[in-house]
Amino acid sequence: MTGLLEFREKLKLFYSKNEFFILPILKFLLAFLVLNTLNGQLGYMTQLDNIAIVLIVSLLCSFLPMGSIVLFAALFSLAHMYALSLEIAAIGLCVYLLLFLLFFRICHKEAIVAVLTPFLFVLQVPYIMPVAMGLLGTPASAISVSCGVVVYYLLLTVSGSASTISTMGAEEATAKLRLIIDGILGNQEMFVVIAAFAITVIVVYLIRRMAVDHCWTIAMIAGVMMNLVILLVGDLMYDLNISLLGAVVGEIAAVVVAKIIEFFRFCVDYSRTEKVQFEDDEYYYYVKAVPKMTVTAPSKTVKKINPQRRTGAAPGRTSAAGARTVSGQRTRNVTTERISTGQERTAQGAHRDEGRGQRPGTHRNDARTGRSVTINSNMTEENTDDYEELF
Amino acid sequence: MLNEERIILMTKMASYEQNEGRENVAIGRYFRSDYIGLQVLKSIFCATVAFAIIFALFVFYDFEIFMQDIYNMNLIEFAQTVLLYYGITVAGYGVISYILYSYRYSKAKKSLKCYYHNLKKLNSLYNE
Repeated sequence: MTGLLEFREKLKLFYSKNEFFILPILKFLLAFLVLNTLNGQLGYMTQLDNIAIVLIVSLLCSFLPMGSIVLFAALFSLAHMYALSLEIAAIGLCVYLLLFLLFFRICHKEAIVAVLTPFLFVLQVPYIMPVAMGLLGTPASAISVSCGVVVYYLLLTVSGSASTISTMGAEEATAKLRLIIDGILGNQEMFVVIAAFAITVIVVYLIRRMAVDHCWTIAMIAGVMMNLVILLVGDLMYDLNISLLGAVVGEIAAVVVAKIIEFFRFCVDYSRTEKVQFEDDEYYYYVKAVPKMTVTAPSKTVKKINPQRRTGAAPGRTSAAGARTVSGQRTRNVTTERISTGQERTAQGAHRDEGRGQRPGTHRNDARTGRSVTINSNMTEENTDDYEELF
Repeated sequence: MLNEERIILMTKMASYEQNEGRENVAIGRYFRSDYIGLQVLKSIFCATVAFAIIFALFVFYDFEIFMQDIYNMNLIEFAQTVLLYYGITVAGYGVISYILYSYRYSKAKKSLKCYYHNLKKLNSLYNE
């Protein structure tokens, strides 16, 4: 566990040091994957189904805010729908506008979820999203997850009806509209999945906020169980043909991802839980404090200390690669760079000190007499006084 | 002379101002009734546009039949029905918006209270 915690700290340190580069790279990768998946699933507009365009747009998204990925994904899907039929593009635009006006206005910060959910559906692991949003978000995240489900089934309906639509003539505009609207509103599977995901988000959120030990683990397991049960009940009621094996595998994947999220967001040591009670003029307080599990990232400190030199040694003679003093004594190297003039001066000073008589045992003298010391501090300080207050 | 406590406080406050605080500071500039009223008005506008889109889709779904029936139907009754649905949609969305933005306003005010407290603390550290 300590190794994992050290790894986490290293990762955090790495991210905080290189956030300026990592964030655009991640945004670029996300945009690239999403747009490529869209092109793979729809791909009716051949001009857009071009890796160069996807790369340029992804590059643009990497410097723009996260919402730009949502915008470009919507524009790409609308362009593909337009290539298929103008009426289909009009319906797509209407659905996006409805989602934007009614739902994204309320939870605009989580608009990216509406893109990630269809993307996870394509990867066959959509069950990750409600559990993850229940752990990281608020009950309002149920709205954004549901919007993502609607977007996925809209695209699924369009791609499923593409062959029929392409055979229809321009005079059958209302028939095309009817085909898509019926395909979306008559899709009982979509409503079952929306209900399952929304309830899962709320259940996971409510349980993980409870002041009980291992609440995150209980929440994720309860969430996936609830999700599975609702899907199976929906399957039995409406004969949806949901793959049981696929659902179980997806739920297991959701638990694995949720455990990773827990490790990074809520890693606490329940064995050292403290319950304290105190009062002030107005209230009695019953506080349960659970310490976070943290370690300091291991760091190597290399101390450069001058080699021992004697009187008469030519300044600058001491080289880094196997610093050989005039007396012929070879000292251990700690760096590969040339020792600076200032250090040489110290070395001379050290020699003067040596002439006056050493005072062994003191740290200062160790440095001045030019002993080479390499310190490898691997300070693992587990369980610091950092507490996660639950209640 | 650097004051460590002051630097930590200033860093925390700067981080707050740049992230979640930005929205809260914008909310804090309004009186409660002004903020909620404005947001509910925006919601009513959005609900109106959304209703218009849904109505347009309803009309175009069976456009031929709708055009045939329009001469036979009681237009006043039809308009009343449409207005009733519009009222329900707008009222429902307005109520949800009112509850949501009231909650957001109180949350932002609480957060800003903490921020202003830190601001006072910082001021007192400068006066020491």
